[in-house]
Amino acid sequence: MKAPAPVAVTGMGCICAAGEDVSTCVQTLFSKDPDPKPPSRFIARHPETHPVFELEASILTDLHSNEALSITAALGVAAARQALEDAGWDPEALSRVRTGVCMGTTVGCTMNDEAFYRTYRSGALPDLLPVRRFFSSNPAEAVARTFDLSGPCLTLSNACCSGADAIGTAMSWIRRGICDVAIAGGADELSRVTYNGFIALMITDTRPCRPFDRDRNGLNLGEGAAVMILEPDTSRRVRKRAPRAFVLGYGSAADGYHPTAPDPGGAGLRRAAGHAVSADGKTLSRIAFVAAHGTGTKDNDAVEARVLDALLPGIPFFSTKGHTGHTLGAAGAIQAVLAAACLNKGTIPGSAGFSTPDPQLPARPTRHPRTIHGDLALSGSLGFGGANAVLLLKRGGDSS
Amino acid sequence: MKAVIRGIGVVGGFGTGISTLEKILMDHGPFIESFAVPDGQPLGGEPYVPVDTRNLKERFPPRSLRRMDHLSRTALLAAALALEDAADPGGNADTGVAVASGYGAVRTTFAFLDTILEGGDAGASPTLFSNSVLNAPAAHISMHLGARGPNLTVSRFEMSFSDALSIAVQWLEEGRAPSVLVGGVDEWCPVLGHCRHRFSKTRDAAAFLSPFGTGRGRARIAEGAVFFLLSPEIAPASGYGVVESVESGRLPRDAPAFPKDAVILTGIDHHRDSARHPLPEDRRVLDYTGYYGTLPVGTGFDMAIASVIVRRGRLFSVPDSTGSETVIDGLQAEKAPEIRRVCCVNITPSGAYGLITLASRPDFSKNSRP
Amino acid sequence: MHTIPMDIQTKLKTIIVEELNFEDLTPAEIPDDIPLFGDGLGLDSLDAVELVVQIQKYFGVQIKNMEEGRTAFQSVNALAAFIAERLPE
Repeated sequence: MKAPAPVAVTGMGCICAAGEDVSTCVQTLFSKDPDPKPPSRFIARHPETHPVFELEASILTDLHSNEALSITAALGVAAARQALEDAGWDPEALSRVRTGVCMGTTVGCTMNDEAFYRTYRSGALPDLLPVRRFFSSNPAEAVARTFDLSGPCLTLSNACCSGADAIGTAMSWIRRGICDVAIAGGADELSRVTYNGFIALMITDTRPCRPFDRDRNGLNLGEGAAVMILEPDTSRRVRKRAPRAFVLGYGSAADGYHPTAPDPGGAGLRRAAGHAVSADGKTLSRIAFVAAHGTGTKDNDAVEARVLDALLPGIPFFSTKGHTGHTLGAAGAIQAVLAAACLNKGTIPGSAGFSTPDPQLPARPTRHPRTIHGDLALSGSLGFGGANAVLLLKRGGDSS
Repeated sequence: MKAVIRGIGVVGGFGTGISTLEKILMDHGPFIESFAVPDGQPLGGEPYVPVDTRNLKERFPPRSLRRMDHLSRTALLAAALALEDAADPGGNADTGVAVASGYGAVRTTFAFLDTILEGGDAGASPTLFSNSVLNAPAAHISMHLGARGPNLTVSRFEMSFSDALSIAVQWLEEGRAPSVLVGGVDEWCPVLGHCRHRFSKTRDAAAFLSPFGTGRGRARIAEGAVFFLLSPEIAPASGYGVVESVESGRLPRDAPAFPKDAVILTGIDHHRDSARHPLPEDRRVLDYTGYYGTLPVGTGFDMAIASVIVRRGRLFSVPDSTGSETVIDGLQAEKAPEIRRVCCVNITPSGAYGLITLASRPDFSKNSRP
Repeated sequence: MHTIPMDIQTKLKTIIVEELNFEDLTPAEIPDDIPLFGDGLGLDSLDAVELVVQIQKYFGVQIKNMEEGRTAFQSVNALAAFIAERLPE
């Protein structure tokens, strides 16, 4: 059977605590010590503090100037703008072709403004701005509106897999000719409501997170957005743009096991990985590394380490969440962008937060930066409700 | 390749099951306006017709349902009904699940905020939080029905259902899944009722999106879920027809392309006579909203009705906005031209649209199913 | 603040029925020594964290991590003893 035509990534954008663009984020992965702090934008009263990876106030002020738009939607638009610039698409040219938008989010689809609800409960009439903002801030719609685009427009909300699912879905659009270009990624802002929810689940650490470490004790939340611009490789060549990467495969599968805990055997993750990778040994042998979901929770890291050891023994893996925190709906997209950047760089970083191997896990992540061998990488995500998504990425070339 | 509709499950204020909906179509009623609504809500608000999910306990051990909220129960019931309608025992591990929701689990979201407001930040309920994530219904469906294939939840207000359907059709065409349970679910709660009540008094229609559009008449707010089991065209026919295409676009640059021979179903506060909406004058346009109510995933209910139209080979009378019956002349089976295509279209005031086209199978015989 | 209930076991059983949504049980039907997790009542990790919040709410007793909770969650009796030891003055 003929292999599908390659889907090229011609541009990437990334904004998170690790940096306000892709190259700064990559630099952070290799040079900085993680420094999450207690949230500064809101107050939440708990017996202990749970640090987060918040965006700097100045970055937020720059990109979020419109009160009628949520921070999540503004982040998505900003990452899209970065990626489009990187891809050499000017807005006018873009609005003349069929451009799909596929964005993942968790916070962005939930109406849970606390001030509004508190006023409502008190019996007073609440200001309707938060509600108007909710209706104006569907992340994919916000991108399509901002750039005046016509084409498929999808907002996915699949917990922590959303960003990866968005890129994978857009890959299929390009393969099938549903659109000429696709803007795909994810965005999520740090929310006080979500923060309280995760602490209630007792899966957040009171220290910087330690993915795959023996003493890991939970995740740190983060916020941000990342976007990839996808187009057929033929179109890329016509436009004479260097590829940032290629998206070769995507798999999605459900554990069907539990509302919050992953299937201990990683059944869904295995199936998703299987769909993302073609069955022949050639592909597997070209995989240089795996960008792991690695949140730092006991359960997630245990499942992932076992699955990685079974499917790709000896292949190096690392988590980026030690530098970005868990950005929920943006996570799968941020991780994919950083994985692509590492493929081009030819090096992967040490897995931030990891120092002591866990004797109960059959595999351990990288401790230090190392050169990679191979032109492919997997990027895996697991989410609440047993969601699993895996992307297969190919090196684009040296970054220009 | 087309996607065959093998089974349909519906849960609404009108009741449960595609047979119930079909009977309402055949009997020209009752209309959703006549159903009971909960008593007055805090701060005034629009009343709504709730759904009853008690039937779920006949199908699943009650204890397995204990942590599922109203939204997830409603969705699971409709999905289970779709499998039953298709005479499919379920449990196909590769079946995909694509779920649409316009507002998500609003009741649970505000109940979660209640635990914080009443108990402090440390009093937040983890169970309510885990149910408030938008993909909770899809997760519960995969757990209870054993569908462990690709799994996605989409949300774009009234475009949600057609978006989910486009994903389902894509999965089938790519061979990602041998079958897909695709559907939409939405619930109503007093806070939404309050918002709608406030917005409907606003003159400035451009200030808000159509979920709070006032509609032509006394649109009754409802909740519910509708699910379809889809398979590639090679699957045996159910009589419901096939999904021929799912399009989305944005006016004015794009315009929905209605096939010449299609009957058009539309609803959700659609304004046919608005200059912005390009519904063809020479085509029959029908609004069945009065049978199931107004909710973001209403397009899914239109598709269920469209499927029944294809299967029965006839149209049904439409309840108009004043609630009285409108009998459509010439709709007797023997007089009506053969119904080949039925379109379900939804257009928002901002111009976004979703267009679903169902086609009858050429080899379908009207008498092949009871 | 929190009134100290006379019968901690009864309160715990009420929490299990009402907050963990065991609609098919009454508090009286839950034996004091039945294992709460696994075989027995069949609670899981999500129930465990919900119980932590409920115990904080009704008894004012904080369970800091699930290692601490593990022995406490063996049965209603074990949990009641754990709580009784830590009730605020």
